[in-house]
Amino acid sequence: MTDATVGYFLIGIAILFVLGLVFALSSRQGRLQQERPAPPPGVHLPTGSYLPVVLAVGAALLGAGFAFRPEGMIANIFLAVPGLLVLVGSIFAWVRAAGREWREIERGAHDDAPGH
Amino acid sequence: MTTVEAHAADLPQPGRGRREAGVPTPLVGMLLFIASEVMFFGGLFAAYFNSRAAHAAAWHPPPGGELDMPLAAVLTAILVSSSFTMQFGVAAIRRGDQRGLRLWVGLTLVLGVLFLLGQLYDYSRLGFGIGDGIFGTTFYTLTGFHGAHVFGGAVGLTVILSRALQGQFSAGNHVAVEAVSIYWHFVDVVWIALFTTIYILR
Amino acid sequence: MATTTLNPRAETYQRSWVLDWLTTVDHKKIGILYIVNSFLFFFAAGILALVIRSELAVPGLQFLDEATYNQAFTMHGTIMIFLFIVPVLSGFANYVVPLMLGAPDMAFPRINALSFWLLPLGGILIFSGYLFGGAAAEGWTGYNPLTQAKYSPGPGTDLWLIGLTLVGTASILGSINFIATIFKMRAPGMTLFRMPIFVWTVLVTAVLILLATPVFTAGLIALFIDRNYGGSFFDPSVGGNPILWQHIFWFFGHPEVYIVILPAMGVVSEILPVFSRKPLFGYRAFVFATIGIGLLSFSVWAHHMFTTGFVFLPFFSFMTALIAVPTGVKFFNWLATLWRGKLSLTTPMLFALGFLSMFLIGGLSGVMLSSPAVDFHLQDTYFVVAHLHYVFFGGSVFGVFAATYYWFPKMTGRRLNEGLGKVHFWMHFVGFNLAFFPMHQLGISGMPRRIADYSPDAGWTILNLMSTAGAFLIALSIFPFLINVIATFINGERVGDDPWEGNTLEWATSSPPPPYNFDRLPPIHSERPLFFLTHGHGHTADRPDDVVEKPEDDVERRGGAV
Repeated sequence: MTDATVGYFLIGIAILFVLGLVFALSSRQGRLQQERPAPPPGVHLPTGSYLPVVLAVGAALLGAGFAFRPEGMIANIFLAVPGLLVLVGSIFAWVRAAGREWREIERGAHDDAPGH
Repeated sequence: MTTVEAHAADLPQPGRGRREAGVPTPLVGMLLFIASEVMFFGGLFAAYFNSRAAHAAAWHPPPGGELDMPLAAVLTAILVSSSFTMQFGVAAIRRGDQRGLRLWVGLTLVLGVLFLLGQLYDYSRLGFGIGDGIFGTTFYTLTGFHGAHVFGGAVGLTVILSRALQGQFSAGNHVAVEAVSIYWHFVDVVWIALFTTIYILR
Repeated sequence: MATTTLNPRAETYQRSWVLDWLTTVDHKKIGILYIVNSFLFFFAAGILALVIRSELAVPGLQFLDEATYNQAFTMHGTIMIFLFIVPVLSGFANYVVPLMLGAPDMAFPRINALSFWLLPLGGILIFSGYLFGGAAAEGWTGYNPLTQAKYSPGPGTDLWLIGLTLVGTASILGSINFIATIFKMRAPGMTLFRMPIFVWTVLVTAVLILLATPVFTAGLIALFIDRNYGGSFFDPSVGGNPILWQHIFWFFGHPEVYIVILPAMGVVSEILPVFSRKPLFGYRAFVFATIGIGLLSFSVWAHHMFTTGFVFLPFFSFMTALIAVPTGVKFFNWLATLWRGKLSLTTPMLFALGFLSMFLIGGLSGVMLSSPAVDFHLQDTYFVVAHLHYVFFGGSVFGVFAATYYWFPKMTGRRLNEGLGKVHFWMHFVGFNLAFFPMHQLGISGMPRRIADYSPDAGWTILNLMSTAGAFLIALSIFPFLINVIATFINGERVGDDPWEGNTLEWATSSPPPPYNFDRLPPIHSERPLFFLTHGHGHTADRPDDVVEKPEDDVERRGGAV
């Protein structure tokens, strides 16, 4: 049994399992998503953000760039540079968004409509 | 049924915690982060001391290399002054002094960049690299990661400087400035420990 | 029983559920993501375990070569510890802790999401070694100089180092979140000594993660520098010290095992009182024992290094034995909680009781190993493998399954089937003991760890065969569990807010809770706010708040204090 076979086998099982889970969840999730109660007055909940996923992907790309380092270089340019750009970009976007949210809270916008 | 009516002022808020009590939540986060960074540098220092103890008879740069003590002393002076300027900036915004904040944060940033440039200049003239024996490895790892943290701090300073230039801070709302200042002092303290360990203790 | 919340005011809107889960910052959804992701890695690492046990069942290399075998046990250990057990407990903590505190979410919700997403990515990086010339193969402990580039070339080990750095960073960010949440986001009236024990264990665990994991990160980076940039940290041929790696690794590695067990102990401490209809005995003793374990965990690391000849044996042996004391305190408190209680043997209770018995065995074998005289003979034998599986699996994993059955109704509004749950438990319990008890004897007979094969003349064959049978029984036991989960999702028995008659605040809201968790909170005057709300003191529920507490009924003061 070669190493790559084990790897592909494991990935195959993982994909099958995820698909199974997706199937199971998709039959329920539609119902859950339709109700979105509003918080009681005074409670401000942050809305969703794509930045955590994006930042994580950037960090992983940067890391992969170091792991797949070609001989004589510091890192793999094709992985590390995009990774670094995505990482830095998402950090800046994050800080800006956080700053904006803080100022909103300060100004007193408490009762947000869902999806705001 | 008996339940408690939630009063807006009492309810905890994500990111803000309970409004009336103690240290603001973002500062708690920054202090905890700094605690973890102290442990990170602790691991690196442990490696340094362990290696130094094992090679006590000959703990110095490899042949052809030499530590530049005067330059390091200058870098120390730059970084320590930058902590002072940072603190003056915090004091300024605590009194609501926008101009003072911009001035002192800007000065801190300049000093920080000077430190980084000085560090790079030092690296270029040292005569040994990270792969040149155990001294080189520990030296570059410790100072290199410190430099990376200074760079991160410089990025943070840039962010609060730009926000200060847009007038986004006030006497009652400047937690980001406080957070960055604590981080900056931490970076300074680590450098003092580094300088003492590498250049003075040898 | 009466529900204790108002119906949430509902508004409707539509949203793509994939995007919703990808961008969520809701601690409940993130908790579920953690749990599902962790179970996926559990199955992957479990398959690796079956691969190992299949090869070891009888002497002779049947279908693996040594290199592949080494990758198998390395990946099994790494994935189980870093990508299953720590994250799954983190996932339950993520879901439950804000609810138990009466908070609307964690202190830093977006960083919470970031902590999660780093996990599958880090795991993929670690696993991808298989596709690029072989995964890491030096054991989950990564000892030098085997992990140096000249002995383990190829990207597998580098991917292991980078992946673990990402996973470690995720952990550290999570720990900051938990500590900040616990200190800043408690509902009015909830003092630190009214927090549920689970929250206390999560707090101490978070402090351990905060202080220990960065040291590991420093070591990982140092090893990466050795492998890639000509560093000399750990390679003796260029002036480095392989024992330094062991010190750095175990300084983290020992607190790590308490990181793994403390939340599971917290889960058990929540479940035993509920299903004994009695308060937890000795709440304060519990808190101090947990803190004591946390502090002591930093002082024992070199008991993993007794045989190197480079550690001061008396100190570390003493501290290791000492850590059994607060653990013993906990055991007595758990037993006292059960004593004369009205026990209901539901599936979560069975797993909690299983935890008590199995962790006891694991703890005892650990105390045996704390003696250098014994450890010198048993280090790196299967005795240690038995010990670590009794504490990791018999302890933490039983705790994880207990948590799953206990909080599944809260998370989904449906209760898992009790019949299937009991089948799962008994198959799991029997399989586990069959797999791992023989390993004690194998170790004493001298079978070393991390060997792909052994001689037929060694006399180890029967016990290995038994162990493999047990491993497959554990694997089979997953089927009733999975069938239960899937069937319950599709059409399970629906429950209300509080199907178990719990004591803590998560049961004071709907199942599942609304996004902001609570419309209203019950008054909090004890560590069992919901118990006092629903049971009063024989009074009806509409008496005013200020007569909730009566000294003769306050078990905390009467029997719970130290």
